[in-house]
Amino acid sequence: MTLNSPIKPTWCPSCLNFQVLAAVKNVVQREINTGKKEEDFAIVAGIGCHAKIFDYINLNGINTLHGRVLPTCLGMKLGNPNLNVIGFSGDGDAYAEGMEHLIHAARYNADFKYFVHNNQVFALTVGQPTPTTEIGFKDKTNPLGVKTSPINPIALMLASGCGFVARVYADMKQIEHVFEEAMKYKGFAFIEILEPCIIFHNVNYKDKIYSLENENHDKTNLEQAMKKAQEFDYSTPTQETRIPMGIFYQKEKPMIEDMYPQLKILKEYKIGWKDIKR
Amino acid sequence: MRINVLFGGEAGQGPNILTQVLGRALVNQGYYVFFSRDYQSLIRGGHNFNVLTFSEEETHSNDSRMDIIVALDDNTEKLHEKELKKGGVLLKGNKGNMYYAGRLFKLLCLDFSLLEKELRELEKRYDENIIEAKKGYDEERQEVCKIIFRNKETPSFMNGNQGISEGAIKSGIDIYYAYPMTPATNVLSELAEKQIEKNILVLEIESEIAVINAAVGSSITGAKTMIGTSGGGFDLMTESLSLAGIAEVPLVIYLAQRPGPSTGVATYTGQGDLQMARYSGHGEFNRLVISPGDPKECEELTSQAFYFSQRFKIPAIIISDKHLAESFYTLAEKPNITFSEKSTLLKRYNSYETDEFGSATENAEIIKKNVEERIEKKKEIAEKAKKFSQCKIYGKKDSKNVVISWGSTKGAIVDAIKDLDIKFVQVLYIEPFPIEEMKKELEGTNIILVENNATGQLGDVIAEKTGMFIEDKNKVLRYDGRPFLADELREEIWGKLK
Repeated sequence: MTLNSPIKPTWCPSCLNFQVLAAVKNVVQREINTGKKEEDFAIVAGIGCHAKIFDYINLNGINTLHGRVLPTCLGMKLGNPNLNVIGFSGDGDAYAEGMEHLIHAARYNADFKYFVHNNQVFALTVGQPTPTTEIGFKDKTNPLGVKTSPINPIALMLASGCGFVARVYADMKQIEHVFEEAMKYKGFAFIEILEPCIIFHNVNYKDKIYSLENENHDKTNLEQAMKKAQEFDYSTPTQETRIPMGIFYQKEKPMIEDMYPQLKILKEYKIGWKDIKR
Repeated sequence: MRINVLFGGEAGQGPNILTQVLGRALVNQGYYVFFSRDYQSLIRGGHNFNVLTFSEEETHSNDSRMDIIVALDDNTEKLHEKELKKGGVLLKGNKGNMYYAGRLFKLLCLDFSLLEKELRELEKRYDENIIEAKKGYDEERQEVCKIIFRNKETPSFMNGNQGISEGAIKSGIDIYYAYPMTPATNVLSELAEKQIEKNILVLEIESEIAVINAAVGSSITGAKTMIGTSGGGFDLMTESLSLAGIAEVPLVIYLAQRPGPSTGVATYTGQGDLQMARYSGHGEFNRLVISPGDPKECEELTSQAFYFSQRFKIPAIIISDKHLAESFYTLAEKPNITFSEKSTLLKRYNSYETDEFGSATENAEIIKKNVEERIEKKKEIAEKAKKFSQCKIYGKKDSKNVVISWGSTKGAIVDAIKDLDIKFVQVLYIEPFPIEEMKKELEGTNIILVENNATGQLGDVIAEKTGMFIEDKNKVLRYDGRPFLADELREEIWGKLK
């Protein structure tokens, strides 16, 4: 078995999703090289450009509905707590249609990793604004321009009690680095990928970003994390804009799989419910 | 002998415990007991009442006229006095509920030791209860009927939701997810209480949308997964019902109806969601819709839902209603449980139409092939369903007068048609529908449709599937949130006989 899929990608040429795909495959491949099996992994994607990643990685899982990646990942972890579940959403998926689940995912803290490909636009439906699109953005559905401020997902996840909150630019190396840290972390890891859409929302963030790690950010300090989260509000960058990237906050918390004796047994014997004979 | 006892009072005064205590004692004496609950959507105060009907013969419903009324408050007397039969007994006053338990046992000539046994099993407040009960027992001087011990076989005394829960456990359920909604909530609490003993995961999560999607996630890892809700919650689930349809994910869904539209009448009963169960979710996909009529059938059909969902990888909907879910029935026979394999494997699932690799496809040929495979499977499901009781026949088998219905109305109909020239056809399989069997039973007969809704939805299914239309004058429909009562229903059916 190989992670390579027989399906030819249909993302636009030079779409940043290729960076995400390469990074995810590299990290999973390294995990497999050091002892894990392909069958130990499962991927879940929503609906949108991001979700095509499901077709391009040869792993089990489900390409589910728009907005429902998180409860599906939760269900898979509760169905077999030994699976390494990786979820992929777009900003429409995570912050519009599925917003309720995001807050609760932080509350349950099931041990799975969650990427939000945030391109600040509904790209696959040809360019409508999402909850993280800046004021003034115009398209055919909003000829008068967006009137509402974008939400700040980093601040939201910190406030929701998420124990692993990170943001990366859509660059293979950055994604790999944070993903590897997330794999080591026990619990729900939220990783937002700031990923300009080269067709519908092509903003130059590359010159505005800086690494939290390089500036000695204390990722165990929630107050500090919240301050860092406020530095960028997802509006169009100005001369002064600086966008922090990396892990804002990391702290292990009790996971839902460890709170129920039924699930602890499954973990202990490395089995899923499918192996329970009745 | 068929005796009706009404217990009324404010929520919190304990009419439920009182009904349970009498009900269990009578069941232990070998009587058939049925009781239903009428309660409002509030926690303290208001007016709640239960009607308990018992007999030496099988009993699955209540009547409109009472032999005994226990009024724990003035309101009960005011509201229900007119239902008291001539010579019936009204117990009233401002004593606690156990005082009336004592008087009731005396009225029915039940030995005090039987009440003592019930109170001991109740545990809670035993010392206070027994003193109160003894006072009532000693003060009562009348006698309504003499209950004599009939046999020592103790049948089960349970409600529909307990039947669903038992059925799920016997089917090897691994996970149950739900969001609280009357009248399905008791399945959540029944299973939650037993989760450690039976090694099941029972979890309440943030919404019905989360519930069904978590269920999809668990089911594709191979866990036998079930969810439960009522109409409004089911509405929220339907996009994912369609997902389970295309991705071929086994799911067992318990749909306990209450009157809609919308919030409707939250704690009352109705059968308005049959067509929703059949047609909800976009696109054309396979599903099972089955409808039990008593708690024994709840157990049996739950096991069949697990069987079909695992065997054919489809969503299976068990449809009940508040009257069945929360009324207590005496069941002499043991249920016949269908075994189901746990056969789902983790692979590549998709909400899109897919190719062999499990990836999204837009290829016309593959789409056509997938659709045709689903249609083929529909036929296989219909063929397999023939091995089960898709409908049941009661009463006079060769009668030209046929009463047809589904679900909880079974109880009142079976009790109502005793000794009449009537055949009763109960439909248990709505999807797949037993078309040939139905034609055989109905053709050339005087069909009388009985349903707890305003439009006769089963009648529409029959018309759609068999081409037979039931005239409006032959429809007995009740849509005030209340269940049918056997004596009134008997009169209504009587008027439609030929």
